[in-house]
Amino acid sequence: MTDYTQVLFKNRRPGETASLETYEKTGGYEGLRIALQKTPGEICAQVKYSGLRGRGGAGFPTGVKWSFFPADQPGEKYLVCNGDEMEPGTYKDRQLLLADPHQLIEGMVIAAYALQAPVGYIFLRYAYEDCSQVIERAIAEAEAAGYLGKDILGSGFSCELHLHRSAGRYILGEETALINGLEGRRPNPRSKPPFPAQRGLFGRPTNVNNIETLANVPHIMRNGNAWYQQLSAPESSPGTKLFGLSGHFNRTECFELPLGVTLREVVQEYGGGLRNGKRFKACLPGGASSPYMTAEHLDVAMDFNALEEIGSRLGTAGVTAFDEDTCMVAVTRNINRFFARESCGWCTPCRDGLQTISWLLDKIENGQGTEDDLTMLHDQVRNINGRSFCALAEGAMGPVEALLRLFEDEIKEHIRKGKCPFG
Amino acid sequence: MPKLIIDNREVTVPEGTNVLEAAQALDIVIPHFCYHEALGAVGSCRLCAMNFLEGPVEGLQMACMIKAEDGMVVSTVDEEAVELRSHVIEWAMTNHPHDCPVCDEGGECQLQDMTVAGGHSRRRFHGPKQTYINQELGPFIQQEKNRCITCYRCIRTYRDYCGGTDFGTFGSRNRICFGRFQDGRLESPFSGNLVDACPTGVFTNKVFRFKSRVWDLQEAPSICPHCSLGCSTIPGGRYRELQRVKPGINRETNGFFICDRGRFGYDHVNHPERPRQARLDGQQATVDAALTAAAQRVRQMVEQHGPDSVAFVGSARTSLEAGALLAEWAKRTGSPHLLFETHRERDRAARILVDRLGDRACSLAELQQSDLLLLIGTDLIAEGPMAALAVRQAVRAGAQVVVIDPRPIDLPCSCTHLPVGPERLPVFLDTLVTRKTEALTDAERNPLQALLEQLDAAKTPALLGGADLLGSRGISRLLDAAVALDNNERPVRVVGLLGGANSYGGALLTRSPRDFDTLVDDIQEGAIKALVCLESDPYRECFDPARAQAALGRLELLVSFDCTPNLAAQRADIFLPSRPVAEMAGSFINNEGRLQAFEQVIEPGISIRETSSGDHPPREFSLETPGALPRPAWQMLAQVLDLPGDLPAIRQQIATADERFDALTSLTADETGPRITDPVVLPDTAPDELPQCVPGETLPLLPVQGFAGSDWLAHLSAPLQPLEGEPTIWLHCDLAVRLGLAEQDQARLTTPLGHCHVTVRTSARMADNLVLVPHLWGTALEGLVPGGRHIDCRLEKEVNL
Amino acid sequence: MSELLPQQQIDKLKAHAAEIEHPHEMIVDVLREIQAHHGWVPDAGVVLTAEILGITPVEVEEIATFYDKIFRQPVGKRVVHICDSICCWSTGGEEIADHLQQTLGIGFGETTADGLFTLLPTCCLGACGDAPAMMIGLTTYGPLTATKVDEILAKERAELAKTTSGKD
Ligand SMILES: Cc1cc2nc3c(=O)[nH]c(=O)nc-3n(C[C@H](O)[C@H](O)[C@H](O)COP(=O)(O)O)c2cc1C
Ligand code: SF4
Ligand code: FES
Repeated sequence: MTDYTQVLFKNRRPGETASLETYEKTGGYEGLRIALQKTPGEICAQVKYSGLRGRGGAGFPTGVKWSFFPADQPGEKYLVCNGDEMEPGTYKDRQLLLADPHQLIEGMVIAAYALQAPVGYIFLRYAYEDCSQVIERAIAEAEAAGYLGKDILGSGFSCELHLHRSAGRYILGEETALINGLEGRRPNPRSKPPFPAQRGLFGRPTNVNNIETLANVPHIMRNGNAWYQQLSAPESSPGTKLFGLSGHFNRTECFELPLGVTLREVVQEYGGGLRNGKRFKACLPGGASSPYMTAEHLDVAMDFNALEEIGSRLGTAGVTAFDEDTCMVAVTRNINRFFARESCGWCTPCRDGLQTISWLLDKIENGQGTEDDLTMLHDQVRNINGRSFCALAEGAMGPVEALLRLFEDEIKEHIRKGKCPFG
Repeated sequence: MPKLIIDNREVTVPEGTNVLEAAQALDIVIPHFCYHEALGAVGSCRLCAMNFLEGPVEGLQMACMIKAEDGMVVSTVDEEAVELRSHVIEWAMTNHPHDCPVCDEGGECQLQDMTVAGGHSRRRFHGPKQTYINQELGPFIQQEKNRCITCYRCIRTYRDYCGGTDFGTFGSRNRICFGRFQDGRLESPFSGNLVDACPTGVFTNKVFRFKSRVWDLQEAPSICPHCSLGCSTIPGGRYRELQRVKPGINRETNGFFICDRGRFGYDHVNHPERPRQARLDGQQATVDAALTAAAQRVRQMVEQHGPDSVAFVGSARTSLEAGALLAEWAKRTGSPHLLFETHRERDRAARILVDRLGDRACSLAELQQSDLLLLIGTDLIAEGPMAALAVRQAVRAGAQVVVIDPRPIDLPCSCTHLPVGPERLPVFLDTLVTRKTEALTDAERNPLQALLEQLDAAKTPALLGGADLLGSRGISRLLDAAVALDNNERPVRVVGLLGGANSYGGALLTRSPRDFDTLVDDIQEGAIKALVCLESDPYRECFDPARAQAALGRLELLVSFDCTPNLAAQRADIFLPSRPVAEMAGSFINNEGRLQAFEQVIEPGISIRETSSGDHPPREFSLETPGALPRPAWQMLAQVLDLPGDLPAIRQQIATADERFDALTSLTADETGPRITDPVVLPDTAPDELPQCVPGETLPLLPVQGFAGSDWLAHLSAPLQPLEGEPTIWLHCDLAVRLGLAEQDQARLTTPLGHCHVTVRTSARMADNLVLVPHLWGTALEGLVPGGRHIDCRLEKEVNL
Repeated sequence: MSELLPQQQIDKLKAHAAEIEHPHEMIVDVLREIQAHHGWVPDAGVVLTAEILGITPVEVEEIATFYDKIFRQPVGKRVVHICDSICCWSTGGEEIADHLQQTLGIGFGETTADGLFTLLPTCCLGACGDAPAMMIGLTTYGPLTATKVDEILAKERAELAKTTSGKD
C-alpha cells in the first residue's frame, strides 16, 4: 500500500478520538488564526481557487457555493453542517468525527466567518450517538479555548454552534429537507428556487455543507492551495477523500486516499481483494445511489469527473464490493427497498414508483418475472429518472438503471429459468 | 405580459402566470392534482409535465412550477410528457382501491377523470396495497383513507387556506395519511371544503352520503342565503329533496370555497314542519283563493281606514324581485309603510351603509389584497364566515389585522385584538375620525395611536364592521372614519356585515323613513291595522320581540308569505306558502352591492325516499304532487298585482320602473354580478348613540350571533344541529371569578324576559364586565336578539340537586 | 417508567421553549427525551410535547410519525435495530436477523414476552465497515456473528436485570 499523505486522518488512532491538545499539536486551529487575518471575501476566494468540491455526494465546488452566499446581507444567516450520512455504504463522516472532531469545529468557525453566518447547526443522524458525544465535548473544549463563542481569538468575530440530533430517515440528508427538519416541520424537501442561500433555515440565508467538506477547510487555510492541489492527481478533483470500504472486501475500513486513485488500487491494495479469494464482480463506487462499476472499470480513476464519464458517480466514495457469486438483481432489490422505504412521500414518482420497482424486482428475483416486467422496469426507470421533486428518487435510479445497462442478461436469466440463478 | 407558444399557438398571459395556467388560457387542459387556482402550485404530484422546447427553461418540466416567460415554446403533446403523465397516474393508482362501483365520489371523481385523461387504463401493479384505519371526524365529513392518492390538497385547503389547526399529515413514504390527531369533529367552520378539495373519495360529505348518485342530482347555480356575503353555491336535489350544497365558483366573492353554514344549512328546504298549504282564516285554501282574499282585504282596509292603516314588511331573505313587487303593492295602496327588515338597527345600518358605501365597496377578492384590516364590532366567523377566510388570505400575503371587539374573536389567522366593551366602540370610532385621543384611557391610547399610524401607512386598508354591534350610528361613524383616513394615494375600503342575503337590496327598495319599532307603536295604537309579511317574522326577528308580540295581537289582518314555520306564518289570517331559494329563480344583492342571480334547482313537494320501506309520501291517490303548492313569492305577488307571472317579464317591469335595476334584464346566474350603488331613503330619526351598553345598573348582557343557531334558516337545517349546542354564555375569566362561576358551570340567567339555564364559558380574550350570549333559536335564548340595547341580567350558579 | 418525563425536565424544556423564537425546532428533542425516559411516545407524550412547546398536538404528531426512530407504539426495554441495508445484507445480515428472531423468539415488530426486547429492521446504520451490524438502544455493534449476538444479548439482559432490580 502506498503511503499517501494523511490530512483528515493524520491523528487517527485505533479506538481513540484526538483531543484538542493533540489537534493543536498538529497544527489545529492555525487555519482559523490565519483565516481571521483575512477578509471573508478572501477566504471564499481561496476556497474557490483551492478547487475543493463538496463531499456530501454531489461534488459541487464549495467555494463557488460560498460565493453565491449573500454574506453581506444584514440579519440572521445560518451555517448548517450536514451530518445525516444515511446512504448505505457511507460511514466516512462518522470515522472522521471519531478520529479528529476539531477539524469540523474549526472548519465551521472559518466557514461561519467567511459567510458571515455566525450561528451554526450540526445536524447529526440518530444512530451516531457516539459522534454526538464527541462533538459536544469538542464544542465545549473549543469554547473553553476561545476558538468558539464570543470574540474568537480576539478577532471580534463570534460564533455559536448547536448540535441537533435527528430521529432517523435518510431524506433529511437532502439539504432543504434537513432545513425543514431543523425547523421542526415535516422534512419534505423544498422547491428550489429559492435556494437555501436565499431563503433557508427560518427563511434566512443558509449554507449547507457536508462534514468532510468543512473539515477540509482548516487544512486549506493553513497549508494553502498549492499544497492542497498537489495532494491528488486530477486537476478537477483536488485533495484527499475518505473512502469507506464495505461489502465483500477483505478489509472493510475507511481510508484517506488521494482523489484519482484507480478502482483497482482501491480494490486490491486497500480492500485487500475480495473475501475467500473470489473475483470482483461489481461495486457501488460512492454509496447506494451510485451506478455500479464492474471489472471492466477497474482502471478508472476514482474522481468526480472520471466516474461521471463512465456513467457512474463518485458520490460519497463509500465503495461496496460484490463478488462473482452475488446476484445483482438481489443487490438492486435490497438497495431499492431502502430508497422506497426512505422516500419522504412528497412526490408521486418516488413515493409510488419506487414501490412499483420494489414489486417488480421482488417478482423477478423470486422467479416469477416476465418479459413484460422487464419492459415495465425500463419504463419505470425512464419515467422516474429526473422527474421527481428532489434527488432521492434519481439516486434510487442509479443502481436500477445500471442493473438494466450492465446486467440485463442476468435479469433475463432469472426470467428464463424462473428462479434466481445464484440460488 | 409574457408571450409564449404552447402547442404551436401563441398566448399572452399576465405576469406571474404559470405555464399550466397559460395552457388553460388556450383551453388546453393538462391533468394535474396538486395545482389548484386557489391553493397555488407545489409541484408534488408531477403530473402536469410539458416539454419546454425553447426559451429560458428547457426539457421536461412540471408546468405548474414554471412561470410563463417571453420566448417559451412548449409542447404538451410531446411523447415524453405524455408517457410521464400516464405513469404518474399509474403510480397514483397503485394503492387505490377498486371500489368505484360503491364509491360515494363516483360521478365527480377527478381521479377517474385524470386517469382517463392521463391515458392509464390497464393495471400493471399487482403488489399489496397500503391500507389504513379510518377516523371518525364528526357529523359532516366521512373519511375513507384507503382512497388517498397523497396529492396533499386536503391539508393545503384545510390548514393553509382555511386556517384549521386540527388536521395534519401523518407518516411518510407511501404510508402517508391525513386527518386529526385523534377521532373527533373537525373543528374548522370551513371543514366541508375538504369534500371538494379531495380529488377522490377520501373526504366525502357524510350528510349526503349514499343519498343519490351525483349524476342523478338536479343542480343549478345559486346564492347562499345564510349571510350577507352572497357566496356562490351549487345546491343539488333529487325527488324534491334538497340533498347537498357545494360551492360555486365566483372569483369576486367566495372564490372556490364556502363555509359549513352555507354547505350544511340547506335542509330548511326539507323541514318537516315547513308550511306548504295556503290558509284563509284558519282553513285550508287554494293559493289562488288566498291571494284573491289577500288583495281584496288589503284593498278594503285601505278603503275603510286609509292607506296608513296597512304596512308591508319584507326581510333580508326576500328576493329582489319579490321585494320590488311588494314595493309596487305598497305603492298601489298608497301605504307609506314599506320595510325590508323588522330589526330596527339592522335596517338602519343597512340603509346607511348602502347610502354611503359607493366606491368604498370591497369584494372578498379585493379584501384579500388589503394590507391592513381593521375589524371593529364584527365577529366574522358568525356574521360573514367567508370574509374571515378572505382576511386570512390577506394575512398570508403579509397583511396586518387589528380587531376591536368585546367578543373572544376566533379568526383563522393571527391578529391583534383589543377586547373592549361595546360602550367603548363609539369612542374608538370617534378617535379614528377626529384623531383626538382625549376620550381614550391610558391603556387604549397607545394601541390606537399605533393603529392610526398603521392606517396612514397602509396602501390598501379596509375597515370592517358589523351591523349588530355598531348599529346605524356605528356604521355611519365607520364610514366617517374611512373618509377621514382616505388620502391622495388611495381610498379606505369598507365592508359592512349586514343582516342577511338581500339586506342591501332591501335597503335600496325601502321607501319609508320610518323603522319597524315606530310601526310597532302605530300598531299598538291601532293606527296600523293590517300587516303584510313577506318572508319576515316580526314576532321574533325584531330586537324586542316581547313588545312586538304584544302589539301584533291587535292587528285586524295579518298576511304572511313564507317557506318556514315561523310565528307570523302560524298566526296569519291569510297564509301563502312561498319557496326557498333552491326552489326558485331570483336575485340578491350582497353586502358590497353586487347583484347576483340564482336559478331554480328543484321543484317543491314532499320528497320521495326510495330507500325507506315503501313509506314514501303519496299514500293516497292524487293527481297532484303532495306538498307542491308553494310558489315563488314574486309569482304570487305578481298575481296580486295582476302582472304576468313569469320572471323575465317581472324583471323587465322592475328594470323599466327603476333604472338602478337595469342589469336585471340580462343577468345570469353564472356571472360575477354588477355592483349597484345608489342613495337610499334614510331612516328619519337621527341615529342616536351606538345600540348597546350604556352601562346598566346590574350586569350588562349582550346578545350576539353565533356561527350556527342564530341564522333562522340554518337553525332549521338538521345537519347543522350538532353545531348549535346548548345555551351558553361567555364571561371574562376575571368576571367569572367575581361571580363565583367557572368554565362549564351551569348557571341561571335572569333577564327582564325571564329565566334560562346556560352553560358558562370563560375567556381571557374578551371584554370584562359583561355577559355575552350567542343567540340560539329554539331555546330560551331565542328572545335575546342581537343588535340592540344592552339588557340587564343576573347570573347565579346552579347547584346540582 | 410510567411517567412521561420528570417534572423538573418538563420545566426546563418549557423554560427553554419560552426563550427561543421558534419552539417548533424542539419537537424532535422533546420527543426523544420522552422516549429516553418512557421508552416510547404514547398519545399523552404527543400532547405533553405540544403543551411544553405551546403548539398543537397535530403539529407534533406530524413530526412524530415521520421519523422511524420515534416509537408511537409500545416497545420493549431495549429496541434491537438490525441493519438490512446492502453492506450488511451482503455480509450475512439476513442470517444474523434470522438468528435474532430465533433466539428472541419473535418476528420483526414484535416484543419478547418478558417485555425486554423489540426487534426492528433498520436501514444502514453507518457501520458498513463493521457489517453485519445492529444497534441496541443507541449502541452500535458489529461485525456480528451468531455467537457475538448471543454475548451481546446476554450482556444487555444482565444490565437490564441490574437496573430493574435496583429500581423496584
Ligand atoms: C436524498 C439525499 C440525501 C442526501 N444525504 C446527504 C448526507 O447524508 N450528507 C450530506 O452531506 N449530504 C447529503 N446530501 C447532499 C446534500 O443535499 C447537500 O448537497 C450537501 O450536504 C452539500 O454539502 P457539500 O456541498 O459539502 O457536499 C443528500 C442529498 C440527497 C438528495
Ligand atoms: S359565508 Fe355566508 S354567504 Fe358564504 S357560504 Fe357562508 S353563510 Fe353563505
Ligand atoms: S449497510 Fe448496514 S450499516 Fe451500512
